[in-house]
Amino acid sequence: MVKKKSFLRTLGFWTLIAALVIFVTYPFAWMVSVSFRYDTDAFEPGIIPKRPTLDTYAILLGFKKSVREELSNEQQQLLDLVKTLPEEQRKAVLAQIESQRKKESFPFLRFFRNSLLLAGLSAFVSLILSIFGAYAFSRIDFKGRGTIQRGVLIVYLFGGTILAVPLYQIFVKIGLTSSGISSAFALFIIYIVQTIPVSLYMLGNYFRTIPRSIEEAAIIDGTSRMGVITKIIIPLSLPAIITVYIYAFMIAWNEFLFASIFVRPFPEFYTLPLGLNEIFNSEHAIWAKMMAASVVTAVPVVVMFMMMEKYLTGGLTAGGVKE
Amino acid sequence: MAVMSLREKEARFGWKLVLPTVIIIALLILYPVFYNIYLSFFEVSISDAPNRFVGLQNYREILADSSFWKSFGITILFTFTTVIGSILLGLGVALLMNREFPGRGIVRALLLLPYVTPLIAIVFAWKYIFLPIDGPLMKFLANFGMNPGNDFVNNPNNAFWVVSIFNIWRNFPFVYLMLLSRLQSINSDYYEAAEIDGASDWQKFVHITLPELYFVIASVALLRGIWNFYKFDEVYLMSKFANTLPVYIYEKAFSGIPEQGVAAAIATILFVIMISLIGVYVKKVLKW
Repeated sequence: MVKKKSFLRTLGFWTLIAALVIFVTYPFAWMVSVSFRYDTDAFEPGIIPKRPTLDTYAILLGFKKSVREELSNEQQQLLDLVKTLPEEQRKAVLAQIESQRKKESFPFLRFFRNSLLLAGLSAFVSLILSIFGAYAFSRIDFKGRGTIQRGVLIVYLFGGTILAVPLYQIFVKIGLTSSGISSAFALFIIYIVQTIPVSLYMLGNYFRTIPRSIEEAAIIDGTSRMGVITKIIIPLSLPAIITVYIYAFMIAWNEFLFASIFVRPFPEFYTLPLGLNEIFNSEHAIWAKMMAASVVTAVPVVVMFMMMEKYLTGGLTAGGVKE
Repeated sequence: MAVMSLREKEARFGWKLVLPTVIIIALLILYPVFYNIYLSFFEVSISDAPNRFVGLQNYREILADSSFWKSFGITILFTFTTVIGSILLGLGVALLMNREFPGRGIVRALLLLPYVTPLIAIVFAWKYIFLPIDGPLMKFLANFGMNPGNDFVNNPNNAFWVVSIFNIWRNFPFVYLMLLSRLQSINSDYYEAAEIDGASDWQKFVHITLPELYFVIASVALLRGIWNFYKFDEVYLMSKFANTLPVYIYEKAFSGIPEQGVAAAIATILFVIMISLIGVYVKKVLKW
């Protein structure tokens, strides 16, 4: 009797686990499956692709030209015709072909590079600033420390929604929205501020776990405070520092609101979320490509997270999480 | 000049270390919050013309606008639905994952996926499975008698539910992680004592587990509540038809004919509500 009950319980338990796994992975399974198909097969039933292909990945990553990018017959003929036209007309036709082709392209690599640069650099600057800040919070007594610490914590509850209008106005006023490069710079600054509070908090918590005695010994030996930070604190907290970096990186990698406000007029500077969303809303029947782009966007971040998971779980719960 | 004491020197060094951070936070977060309130009293010009002071007109306009009130209601509902949903799901999953079983490591890694995957990637995956007629989820639901032609995502009547379920799906891992780490630190003596007294599983859950989790649940509810009340990207990218207040602000400020003064006024209202709710919550629920 007891046996039967426990069998039922085990069955129930595994059913729950299975349901949970399906619930969590269902959209991912389709994302991956569709990414290995041709655009035309995107809605073939069945989760295992019947004609698997790496085509879309090759196109995205620039190993292969897409059909859209190859000149259409019509355009080829036009190009041939153009050679016989007088100078002015030739220019007009060429410009038209050019703009047509631009509309059809899927500059995934450019989005990827922009996001990588922006997220990589802003997370790096934010990390440096917060290493110093967090050290001051965890080790040095000074007037106003408590106030600043609480201030940072409260600030990290203010969402981008509230800051969007005033930040835009401020950057317009100081002239940082006039060109692509300056708008990208505005984003860079904003991403630093967006990530600093969490970085500070997580690092501060970690630094407090490092025994003071190690530092004291070094200071007695004549090491300066700065030397303590670079020679003791940083090497000792490397796992935490990397975790925080990944976290800050991900916040910038994900960011959509400010990117869409600041760099929308400058397609050269689109980040992944903005670029992919624009393409999604402008073109049709490119599901395989959208899914492959999603996979390539997700993989670096997911891999980094999985590698850092054991540190992360501690850091997440200790530090709370900023989104 | 007197020689600085060691203490003063330390304090000075401490200030130097935090100063850059303090400056940029003050310039890019604190100042904008107040500047936002200031802007809300102006008709903000989008050309070079100066802003025109209009007093409370922006506020009057909003409060008389029925679409604002509708958005407001949706936002409150969205916040409650997603906070309660993600906590219930997160709690259930944390209880499940608190048991040892073969393959737990893999399941735990998979559970993080919705939370750590870049938003833009999973948004497309969700839109794909929800596509009318062709989407796999719609095809699957058709087996249970649902009309596969429904467009949940782009129908203003349903968009709210899709966005809420999406938010719960994406954020329950956060709740689960926080709850699990608290669960694992509960002293097993309590459970053993309760078993000796003949307590049922349910009694153990209600009388030991829940009280131990109270503060974590309350804090997580606060954090998720704040974040979801402000939530823009998840809602907007998933469905523009879900019409929560952040989406409303965004559209007023950055699309069509921008009315940034009005948008600033809405943001100010949102801000004031949030601050007061946090105040009440911290006092009553967290009892700080």
